[in-house]
Amino acid sequence: MNKWLVLFRKEWLEMVRNYKVIWLPLVFVVFGLLQPITLYYLPDILKNAGNMPEGTVIKIATPSSGEVLCETLSQFNQMGILVIVLAFMGIVAAERRSGMMKMILVKPVTYTSYILSKWVSALLLTFVSLSLGMLAAWYYTILLIGSFPFVDLAQGTGIYFIWISFLLTFTLFLSSRLKSSGLIAALALLLGIVLSLVTPLLEKWMKWSPAQLTGAASSLLTEGAAQGNVLLPLTITILLTALFLYLAVREP
Amino acid sequence: MKMMEVTALSKSFDTVNAVNNLSFSLKEGRCTALLGPNGAGKTTTLEMLAGLLVPTKGTILFMGSNQADYREHIGYLPQQPVFFSWMNAVEYLVFMGELSGMAKATAASRADELLELVGMADAKKRRIGGYSGGMKQRLGIAQAMIHEPKLLILDEPVSALDPVGRRDMLEMMKRLKGHMTILFSTHILHDAEEVCDDVMMIHKGELAVAGSLPELRRNYLENIIIISAEESLDTWARTLERWTVITEVRVRNNTLELFVSDLDKARSQLLAEITEKKIPISSFTVGSTTLEDLFMKVVGK
Amino acid sequence: MGFSSINWALVAPLIGIELILMIIAVVDLSKTTTQTNGPKWMWVLISLFFSIIGPILYFTIGRKHT
Repeated sequence: MNKWLVLFRKEWLEMVRNYKVIWLPLVFVVFGLLQPITLYYLPDILKNAGNMPEGTVIKIATPSSGEVLCETLSQFNQMGILVIVLAFMGIVAAERRSGMMKMILVKPVTYTSYILSKWVSALLLTFVSLSLGMLAAWYYTILLIGSFPFVDLAQGTGIYFIWISFLLTFTLFLSSRLKSSGLIAALALLLGIVLSLVTPLLEKWMKWSPAQLTGAASSLLTEGAAQGNVLLPLTITILLTALFLYLAVREP
Repeated sequence: MKMMEVTALSKSFDTVNAVNNLSFSLKEGRCTALLGPNGAGKTTTLEMLAGLLVPTKGTILFMGSNQADYREHIGYLPQQPVFFSWMNAVEYLVFMGELSGMAKATAASRADELLELVGMADAKKRRIGGYSGGMKQRLGIAQAMIHEPKLLILDEPVSALDPVGRRDMLEMMKRLKGHMTILFSTHILHDAEEVCDDVMMIHKGELAVAGSLPELRRNYLENIIIISAEESLDTWARTLERWTVITEVRVRNNTLELFVSDLDKARSQLLAEITEKKIPISSFTVGSTTLEDLFMKVVGK
Repeated sequence: MGFSSINWALVAPLIGIELILMIIAVVDLSKTTTQTNGPKWMWVLISLFFSIIGPILYFTIGRKHT
């Protein structure tokens, strides 16, 4: 535990020194702010875009607060996942490539606490980034569109975080086994994309899919309650996350 | 007292046997050189001893036990030490010290001490990213010693250094010798002869020759007489091959290299023969083969 | 409603964050110990001229780690 803390502090200091603790949350905050602003100004933007005959009346139903937040979440599901995978693809692989891993593992440290320190710090920063992004979106939604219950926001974000954690853990697992950062990112993104695409298409057979959690989070935000069975994908996702973490801490 | 005892150590990668059936022991307080050409299996051996690689076969006993995780008692400097370029020297040493189980304050005061010892006290607050190769090597030694290990394992500590850095490092190793057991690998025999007490030569993953320097000199170095002349000595050389005191004759141009079993006897007989046959010699040298010759013989060149 | 009617108080934080990202990227690039994939000047240009995306690209794939 003591050594784990030393390694965890090092991970955190590294993320401070390479500015990851600043830019990763800021990126999420930008996307969080962007969505309510764009949706609010959409009619003006369309009007200014021209091409419309004089006198055309554009009627776009102003989206509800829940819909704006749901849009934000789907934005996070693309750009957010991309950024997180790219940010953490080298988390183990880079130190293995450089030889730093040997410098550390020759000290009386277990491989498990080495990997776990990385997992927890990456998870923590991701959680902070996602939360700040959603809070920013929430604040602007309240300002521009209308109030929205914090409890629903927290629940939706919480469920969504489980899905992100699953992808992050998969990225860490790949990083512990593969050398090429590019390949790691490609495979991790592939899993995210395939699950997200296939799950709604094959609804019937994919009730267990971790990607169901994004749907559940969306419906929590738009309707105030999760649609369908959340417990099954939730359980499966947590089990898969645990499995990939277990595989990651096993020395290759 | 044996610090480390290694029995039948082997390591294979896929089908390649990097290290094959290696057995040796390291005595406490001595400095041992692991000598061998590139690709002989030196790094693989050291990494197994350091606990970085799991041996395919064989046992490693540390202080008589093969159970405990002995990593806290060893310091290891890899061939190319790497660092976090975003840390400074003190931060790095304290980090490594804490990983070795030291309290932060203890590690910090020890770090100051070590940086003084390796002559880097004035650069300790600078980011490692801006260090030169020699500074990194010295910091590498410091991180290996941060937790006052019983055994210091150094993989090619001087190979990558310029002459000045090399001298510094050898002097430092000489100073450390009294305080801890050292095992270091090198492919340069001269370095081994200069600082170590014991030598192990390995070739193609197998132990070829091992012993203390005096033992090696006694057991393996052969007496040799070198005779040069103004004319070809071919015909005379052929008669010398039949002498019992001469074990081997090598002819190179007008020079003869004679490996002899009994130096005194061979010298007087040869001198008598030279006078008698009026051989026009230009020089007559008595000496012995060097460890370099032994090394070359082991390596098979 | 024209361009001037945009509520700048709302947009200002967004622009502020964009600027912060850009500045961090350029400050990091100006350090001699920072190593990049590809030439540094290219990343300076990318960070300066592509708002948000530029600095993100630099931090994720432009910057060499360790």
